[in-house]
Amino acid sequence: MTTTYGQLIEIIERLHDAPADRIRPEATLGELDVDSLTTVEISIRIERDLGVRVGDDELQPDLTLGDLAGLVDTRRTTV
Amino acid sequence: MSTTAAVLCGLAGQLPSRVVTNEELARRLDTDDDWIRTRTGIRRRHVVEPGQATSDLAVEAGGRALAAAATDRVDAVVVATTTPDRPCPATAPLVAARLGLTGAAAFDVGAVCTGFVYGLASAAGLIAAGVADSVLLIGADTYSTIVDPLDRANAIIFGDGAGAVVLRAGHPDEPGAVGHFDLGSDGAHEDLITVAAGGSRQRSTPGEPSHEDRHFAMRGKEVYRHAVTRMAESARATLSRAGWKIDDVDHFVPHQANLRILHSVADDLGLPRERCVTHVESVGNTGAASIPLALADAAARQTVKPGDRLLLTAFGGGLTWGSCLLTWPSLPQPERMTTP
Repeated sequence: MTTTYGQLIEIIERLHDAPADRIRPEATLGELDVDSLTTVEISIRIERDLGVRVGDDELQPDLTLGDLAGLVDTRRTTV
Repeated sequence: MSTTAAVLCGLAGQLPSRVVTNEELARRLDTDDDWIRTRTGIRRRHVVEPGQATSDLAVEAGGRALAAAATDRVDAVVVATTTPDRPCPATAPLVAARLGLTGAAAFDVGAVCTGFVYGLASAAGLIAAGVADSVLLIGADTYSTIVDPLDRANAIIFGDGAGAVVLRAGHPDEPGAVGHFDLGSDGAHEDLITVAAGGSRQRSTPGEPSHEDRHFAMRGKEVYRHAVTRMAESARATLSRAGWKIDDVDHFVPHQANLRILHSVADDLGLPRERCVTHVESVGNTGAASIPLALADAAARQTVKPGDRLLLTAFGGGLTWGSCLLTWPSLPQPERMTTP
């Protein structure tokens, strides 16, 4: 089953600086060492691959991957 | 449509001898090798010595490209640069004179990191119009002269260098013919990549410019988004014009801005990352020199071979962007400039 969380993991694993052993739903972007340009890259790929706009300014260091999946799901259902 | 195309017949690159490693940068900036490599893909860059100027690199690269093309005459010399020796005059006439080409048409192209692709289009135009039968085009930049050495974001990215090609009049269907150009700009975003001082805006304003205004500035996050989007769009437009599919591209040669941008564009195009020619690891972002330097490096390593189909795509300040296609010709192999 392809979940939004699973799709997000695919996106993040394509990036250079995501340590695989730290990727879990409770992990925050800060814990994953996501820097400002990576937030732009994640934002671009969410829009490109999932068809949902999440601004890079919304990808704050305290946001967890689970929260982000929820945010994408909410926007998917309200479009 | 014109039947005369610009055909690549000589290629060379030149890097200054001084190498700045990530470890050296880490001694003066709050950064380290691992951070720079994972964020940018860059391991080292070359920078000019005090007193060395853009034309010094351009002359070296240009002279070698002429030798590779087995000629000592061209009708025009075009230098694409953002770091001319002086605000006035253009750098190209001096480069031409130092290469023994006095009398040739000579001018600079200013399209920041898209300068080489704009220069190719300019050279192709000179040839198609019958103004020139041969053109020496040099992309040359010395960003170390405009980047504040204490500006971490930019000091880790940029390096100096020059890459040169010789183009001759030929047929659009022969190997080496450059064509199917897509060029564009959006000046509404001119403030994303700037050197604020030194031009008429600042000089006509009372007072001395600030330290920041004298140096190169780039709004990284916004530039990143525009770069990825525009490069992918431009690449698609060029492929569409030529009737090529993405699978027809053997090598994608993007402006070497930073490795993440290159991979993002390749992924967007559906192009395997292995087909992306990368040189940024060894030299950083060398501005208008980056595409010809990457080509010279790939040709020296024989990763690009005669008959291979290439897509060139660039993005830079302005904003500007551009793409074109060519089938790789049989050329004398350039010298290796850097160690792996």
